[in-house]
Amino acid sequence: MRYLPSSPAEDRALLDTIGVARAEDLLSGIPEPLRLKRGLDLPTQGSEQEVAWQMMDLANRNTRFCAQFLGAGAYDHFVPSAIDAMVGRQEWFTAYTPYQPEISQGTLQHLFEYQTLICDLTGLDVTNASLYDGGTACVETALMAVRVQKKRHTVLVSQGLHPLYRQVLRTNFAPHDGLKLVEVGLKDGVTDLADLQAKLNGDVAAVMVGYPNFLGAVEDLTALAGPVHAAGALLVSVTQEALAFGWLEAPGKAGADMACGEAMSFGNKPTFGGPFLGFLAVKDAHKREIPGRVVGQTKDLDGRTGYVLTLTAREQHIRRDKATSNICSNQGLVTLRANLFLQLAGPEGLKGLAEQNAAKAQHLRQRLLDLPDMEPVFDQPFFNEFVLRYKGDMAALQEACLAESLLPGLDLGRFYPEYQGCILWCATELHTRRMIESLVEILARVPATV
Amino acid sequence: MFLRQREPLSFERSVPGKRGMDLPKLDVPAAKDTRPAHLKRSGFDALPELSEVEVIRHFTRLSKWNYGVDDGIYPLGSCTMKHNPRLNEKVAGLPGFTDSHPMAPDALVQGNLELVFTLQEWLKEITGLPGVTLQPSAGAAGELTGVMLIRAYHVAQGAKRRVILIPDSGHGTNPATAAMAGYDVVELPSRPDGTISFEDVTDPVNGKVRKGLKTLVAELGTEIAGAMITNPNTVGVFEYRFKEISDLLHSVGALVYMDGANMNALVGVARPGDFGVDVMHLNLHKTFSTPHGGGGPGAGPVCCAEKLLPFLPVPVVVRDTVKVGEGEVPKHSYRWDWNRPQSIGKVHTFFGNFGILVRALAYCLSHGSDGLREATLRAIVNANYIRARLKDAYALHIDSPSLHEVVFSDTLQAKHDVHTLDIAKRLIDHGYHPPTIYFPLIVPGALMIEPTESEGKDELDAFCDTMLAIAKEVETDPEALHQAPTLAPLRRMDETTAARKPVLRWTKA
Repeated sequence: MRYLPSSPAEDRALLDTIGVARAEDLLSGIPEPLRLKRGLDLPTQGSEQEVAWQMMDLANRNTRFCAQFLGAGAYDHFVPSAIDAMVGRQEWFTAYTPYQPEISQGTLQHLFEYQTLICDLTGLDVTNASLYDGGTACVETALMAVRVQKKRHTVLVSQGLHPLYRQVLRTNFAPHDGLKLVEVGLKDGVTDLADLQAKLNGDVAAVMVGYPNFLGAVEDLTALAGPVHAAGALLVSVTQEALAFGWLEAPGKAGADMACGEAMSFGNKPTFGGPFLGFLAVKDAHKREIPGRVVGQTKDLDGRTGYVLTLTAREQHIRRDKATSNICSNQGLVTLRANLFLQLAGPEGLKGLAEQNAAKAQHLRQRLLDLPDMEPVFDQPFFNEFVLRYKGDMAALQEACLAESLLPGLDLGRFYPEYQGCILWCATELHTRRMIESLVEILARVPATV
Repeated sequence: MFLRQREPLSFERSVPGKRGMDLPKLDVPAAKDTRPAHLKRSGFDALPELSEVEVIRHFTRLSKWNYGVDDGIYPLGSCTMKHNPRLNEKVAGLPGFTDSHPMAPDALVQGNLELVFTLQEWLKEITGLPGVTLQPSAGAAGELTGVMLIRAYHVAQGAKRRVILIPDSGHGTNPATAAMAGYDVVELPSRPDGTISFEDVTDPVNGKVRKGLKTLVAELGTEIAGAMITNPNTVGVFEYRFKEISDLLHSVGALVYMDGANMNALVGVARPGDFGVDVMHLNLHKTFSTPHGGGGPGAGPVCCAEKLLPFLPVPVVVRDTVKVGEGEVPKHSYRWDWNRPQSIGKVHTFFGNFGILVRALAYCLSHGSDGLREATLRAIVNANYIRARLKDAYALHIDSPSLHEVVFSDTLQAKHDVHTLDIAKRLIDHGYHPPTIYFPLIVPGALMIEPTESEGKDELDAFCDTMLAIAKEVETDPEALHQAPTLAPLRRMDETTAARKPVLRWTKA
């Protein structure tokens, strides 16, 4: 086996030093009746070539597309070559959590820089060294809001939040009998202010809204902050497409008290939904309630600047059942991809890229609306996703696109009964004018409903 | 290695006008500004302006201050720092996987679904448990999923229970998880041999009596939802009464959760499903060698017994057999089943850290049934070799048979006022990453060493020689240990000030 380094003679020497005849003799601590008496019923070992072919075969069994017009929480962006090259260095991808700071300054300084950038993008003071993904980040944020807002037990969640984020929230709130998760409806594609007002009361700890929301619409955080703050609740912005931070004002500057979401767009491919990158940023006053690893700057004995894991008194390995969360490992290497992406982009690159996304999405929307079967559903500012109603046959549309190797947008009927027959479209910098024209041509040929 | 002693923060290097990313020419009309004025991005305070050259040099220099698995033995106990095969990285980067969209119709992602199904089949056979979900993103996320399965099971039985039992040797994630799932935690005391105590234990220092498993089961009875037990435990010892423990818990209707962080000691040797485990998690980044990435991403699949199947997170992958003609090889198609009314729901937005699952399957296929067992045995041999070579120089606080890791205490060194932290820091001067320190909590000044199967005799000998030299140095020159490390880029860090006056991001001067 190519991954096991000892030779037979060396193995013998190891066993002699230990003082046993065979490796199996070291299993004496496992009671005999509990041991497996047979070999595992699985294939035997494979050479590198055989395994490579098997895996390539699986990869090839996924359908490839010329263009995907589907976002919905997993966005396809261009990944600069420097990212894969750098992340492929063993010092980054094989290292563990930086428990020993003197020998982990690379990871620690990187995380300090990453934290700085997440704070910059969100306009808030403190963030952590990442959470798993957008959905679980929502859970950690909601639970943190309830901790911070003592004696308040309800979290209001706009239906504009990603429907799968809301499912993850429901799963994690179910065990807490004392906590309530209440949904707020939508009106014209954004959080219904009247419904929100009706549900705000002294028990509401926080209100979570999408920014932009799942339907692509830009919620007016500033307008929402008024009533939310008046009720003593925290406003939480949830961003599933972090590239929007190059286009939209930082949530912390627009009225949000906490910002969380998904930052996979910074240097990752859709990869069937993971590994992605959950983030959470909060105000300074709340820093000791934040979950997860946090890196801080300090000095060594000689007064040289360095970095350490800090505020560990919040964490599971110290506080056990009183910890702010059970999170231990996070999305370390994905934070490195995001940090590299953001440093390569810089302020001009990020803004420029965001403007291109907005331009492509606006153009796509315009061209789709030129088709007789497409019509607008609501009129809200959007970033790189938007909703249109399709009056034709949805299945026929799907079939026509796939036949030409194009993946169309998301059929919203699956998640929103009220948007039956509507499609959530996405365009990014990857979509050329030509691809958009191909889509429009194909859609123009879709046979009318029978 | 450490060519420079200091690399400034990239923000300090930023010069206006530099670009590290050129954008494609815009081939559609420029975006109309539809944003309300107050939601227009006002600017950035930190994003640096750097060229690609500078960004690459910055991160290359930083990387040289890290220690990786390819630098040498990385003996962090419980963390299982194995070799990370490059094949696994390569196949995880295949565009067929990375370009696939999680919202694409099932028919278009048959390769992914087959991969998920196949990896689940491997994990079922390895654990002896019939149910699997690959959705949890990490070990702790797997624990939470597992405990929520236990909760859903009891709720379906009509009896909501209150308590989870956890041994005092358990990982901190166990009690933190139980609390996140809405349970009260009651601690189980350990016996001097490191295993769970059935009997009450009297603390030799303060005379306090801590209730053992038998008393707790008798007193709490049907209030107990389950127990979370690491096996082999964090001392590297198999809970040899595991079957009795699970029988006792089952007798009051409680379920048994096994923390599978140390499953690398059991693969191909013993199966949790065969000794009473109802639900457990696996750490693919430990046992199945997916890279640790400086703290993630990992993956924490959960395996469960028949009675927990209805509660597994949605969606569950299903294999259908496509009808074929007589004599032909049967063909399969795969789909997600979302229609599971008793499911606890979703625990990850999509299907978990899929890219990690790809690597884990490549690990399984490379090792095969024979290689998996061989890896287990070699990991156990390696740990016992270190134990044999070091046991005279460092105290074995617990003398039970070691499996994949060995835990020493600093009691012999403490006489010279040298402690575990000093030994760990001195190892850095010798070019090694230190072991896990001060865990498990039941061993005073614990040094928890896990070599894994990836080390050969040369590497093990060099490490042991260094540990023995350090033990000598403790007697001859304790000050050298107190000062260590002196050869790393930085000396010991002021962690107290870091926590008291936290500086958690860079701000413009």
